[in-house]
Amino acid sequence: MATQLLGRGDVERARRLIESQGLAFEPGFDDLVGAFEGDALVAVGARQAAVLKMIAVAPSEQGGPLLGAIVTELAHLAGAAGHEALFVFTRPSSAGSFEALGFELLASSGRAALLESGHGLARWLEAHRGLLRAGDHGAVVANCNPFTLGHRGLVEEAARRVDTLYLLVVREDHSAFPFEARLRLVREGTADLANVQVLDTSRYAVSALTFPAYFLARGDDAAEVQMELDLTLFGRRIAPFFGIRRRFFGTEPYCATTRRYNEAMARLLPGLGVEPVELQRRTADGAAISASQVRARLRDGRLDGIEALVPASTAAFLRSGEAAAVRERLRREEGRH
Amino acid sequence: MGIARKAQAGTLQSSDVMVFVEPAEALVVEIESTVKRQFEHLIRAQIERVLRAQGVTAGRIRVTDRGALDYAIAARLETALRRAGG
Repeated sequence: MATQLLGRGDVERARRLIESQGLAFEPGFDDLVGAFEGDALVAVGARQAAVLKMIAVAPSEQGGPLLGAIVTELAHLAGAAGHEALFVFTRPSSAGSFEALGFELLASSGRAALLESGHGLARWLEAHRGLLRAGDHGAVVANCNPFTLGHRGLVEEAARRVDTLYLLVVREDHSAFPFEARLRLVREGTADLANVQVLDTSRYAVSALTFPAYFLARGDDAAEVQMELDLTLFGRRIAPFFGIRRRFFGTEPYCATTRRYNEAMARLLPGLGVEPVELQRRTADGAAISASQVRARLRDGRLDGIEALVPASTAAFLRSGEAAAVRERLRREEGRH
Repeated sequence: MGIARKAQAGTLQSSDVMVFVEPAEALVVEIESTVKRQFEHLIRAQIERVLRAQGVTAGRIRVTDRGALDYAIAARLETALRRAGG
């Protein structure tokens, strides 16, 4: 019933249908599918990797089978592309329609809802049940791109204050250092800290890079809504499972995005039952250590004395052949976070 | 018959069911249904009947049901298994 929309005319009609529902048409998708009634396009939806978005049904057809048809087609295409779990970002008022199709609500923050199919979060949590401990625990969530002495200082100090520190490394692989390398350097760089548990966030950190803004109201700030959703998911689903009561983060002197995220944590986490704790970032030669400095040094081949900024394990990686591909990527896309 | 690769069949339309199968060490059946509370045991029994008939002893079977009748469940699952066959 639903078919792929490929021609320019069909894409333009999809845009009009999406916009008629108060949504924004966002370029950037792997598939766009639609359903026709006669010549009229009456339902449409798009997929970008594992994220379904811009799903719109004409008012005359709402409540009928078209939403299921669109989601079915997108699920088939996603399955063929190797994505099993699917995610939907939408308005909270639309969450029920997706729940009726078997999606599970992961987080709803007032302005946005995140749903998934396939019980991935429940399975991810269950897979970590063996790490659960009694006591008072904390968390650090970080990209560690790559793991520096700044991260090490934050983790050490946080670990001193709690029984177990869960260090969640964000999987989303848009960082210069591939996820597997980031995770390995974090593990090596914290191996001597007995009460630190290093985890992979899997898909359960809402990244600005996959967050679609198509459903937001005019005047809503996409970054703000994305942070709210991410913190709601963390505070309502992840923290309670592990018994995490505090979330630690470093002061941010350089990056405006990270600073905003810190502000959002300070504002929102208390309402979610998690205490935000900002710790002073470690310095080298009077300047705060940051992963972006390390990336700049790698890019420019200035690794002399890099031990002032990173632990020995990260330094060894930076000097190894494996770092060559990272250096190439950094040279190609300068300035990426 | 074994499950050699990921496969799916069916739709999310009303009165239909969407079935995902993938290789796994053990046999796991996960059911999501709009009528789960009333009919989960019947859906599960039907799935187990088909799995037995097809000789499937391992794999993850995930079913999103929207009120499908027995024969639709069987047909969708058989199709998914055939697509996943080694």
